[in-house]
Amino acid sequence: MSRRLTRARDAAGPLLISIIAWAVLIYLVLPLAVVIAISFTTTEYLAFPPVGFTLRWYQRFLADPSYVDAILLSARLAFGSTLIGFVLGVPAALVLKRGRLPGAQMLGNLFLSPLILPAIIIGVGVLQISGALGFARSFEAMLVGHVVIILPYIVRTTLASLEGFDTSLEEAAQDLGASGLGTFFLVTLPLIKPGIIAGCLFGLIMSWIDVEVSIFNTVIAQSPIPVKVFNYVQYSVDPMIAAVSAATIYIAFVLVLLLDRLVGLDKVTGQQK
Amino acid sequence: MRINRLWAAILLGIPLIYLIVFFVTPLGMVVVDSFSNEAGELTLANYATVLGEAYYWRVLGYTFWIALVTCVATLILGYPLAYYMSLIERRRTMRRLCFILILMPLFTSNIVRSFGWIVLLGREGLVNETLLLLGIVDRPLRLLSTEVAIIIGMIYVMLPFMVLAIASVLQNMNGSLREASRDLGATAFATFLKVTLPLSAPGIVAGTLIVFTLSISSYVTPRIMSGGRSVVSSMLIYDQFMLVFNPFLGSAIAVVLLVASFALIIAYTLLMERRPARGTST
Repeated sequence: MSRRLTRARDAAGPLLISIIAWAVLIYLVLPLAVVIAISFTTTEYLAFPPVGFTLRWYQRFLADPSYVDAILLSARLAFGSTLIGFVLGVPAALVLKRGRLPGAQMLGNLFLSPLILPAIIIGVGVLQISGALGFARSFEAMLVGHVVIILPYIVRTTLASLEGFDTSLEEAAQDLGASGLGTFFLVTLPLIKPGIIAGCLFGLIMSWIDVEVSIFNTVIAQSPIPVKVFNYVQYSVDPMIAAVSAATIYIAFVLVLLLDRLVGLDKVTGQQK
Repeated sequence: MRINRLWAAILLGIPLIYLIVFFVTPLGMVVVDSFSNEAGELTLANYATVLGEAYYWRVLGYTFWIALVTCVATLILGYPLAYYMSLIERRRTMRRLCFILILMPLFTSNIVRSFGWIVLLGREGLVNETLLLLGIVDRPLRLLSTEVAIIIGMIYVMLPFMVLAIASVLQNMNGSLREASRDLGATAFATFLKVTLPLSAPGIVAGTLIVFTLSISSYVTPRIMSGGRSVVSSMLIYDQFMLVFNPFLGSAIAVVLLVASFALIIAYTLLMERRPARGTST
């Protein structure tokens, strides 16, 4: 085979791959772009491409306290469950990695197992336990459930960042007289911080977009924003709900940029399972 | 860092208690409920219903069928994208743009994503308009509330997980192996088949596992895309708990779904482990 032919064929491969890759990337953004586009339409119905440009639908949903309340409720849930997940998950990961416990591997799997369990079953389970403990269908019930689903993300990324960790730095600190707690805050924490931040951001997002756990543990009057949109979309779709949906996409965009700024997107995927 | 036993017990004990109370116990309650009836008696009647009626088998079968199709399709679509991202390792801006485009849908609620597809797949949606324009069809297809819609929606929701799982393995792969293969005279395609693909097997296994698991339990996407008909197991579970108010039957469906999916996952993992696939671990 001539050299030129080989080279031409070698170039064709990457070209074909990049075409497929970009087609897939377009497929990934298309539905989001469509939702954003139709949220600006001047028509009373969903029009794509949108007709004209108006912010009317945004004004309408922002003037509706039930939507604003739902967004605030979602935010409280996301931050609350992430905070609890952080307080529970980071120490657990530390002990699992460093405690030299018998059965640490198995316990670690227990902490990660909510990840592979259907969220809908976790939702059902939380409904049962909160009923038994007397707080069924409340903010607290949703909070408790969200902590369960986001804990694995925080534990996993913290474990991963402790994996390639040079323990001699900690030993040096302790040899130089730092206390255990001092070593933790001055040496360990700064080194594993990117992993913790990545885990917390993922947790925040998983809570923010959850429908499956919330839907079993809420009442109509007190729904997080994805559940509210879900209940609405099942019966009708209109430009206002597109504006509400678009708002959640903007927030997703801010979170992606935050993740990029604080951790670096390459590192995030390195820690995906 | 040395952690003394008392601190270890406290730091691990509290999270452990939390998980036992709010994760393990609830699951236990679901299992107990699945063997109970309204009178509080132990019974196998729920399982007799779920395992005895063809309807439940059909729904369970359909649930796994959708998950399987989603798995295969996301692998076929996701692999080239993940591979492309490993090719542009040095073009940082481009790579970052790819990551943003992949993470954006992942960070958006399933419901919002499905909403986008409702618009795209409608009678006068972009998909039908394009098909008409290209002359592939001569009148708009009914796409919403069909199996095609469910599968398109599921692929869409699951694709980022597959891409990220494969990309993380490809990006940690030792590039010199590929170079060695090329230096020894293999074509680019042969190098891909003999070196890159086998080495990325752990990513494929991880990706298919996570997509399959998430697909089986997916609720929102099939609900919206099917137009509300109960077509997969998660919907039956929801209906039993929230509409029919029969948590006992709902629990039995949940347990059957769980056991069936665990059995499949374990079988798959064992099958994959027996194959000599060595690669970088994630």
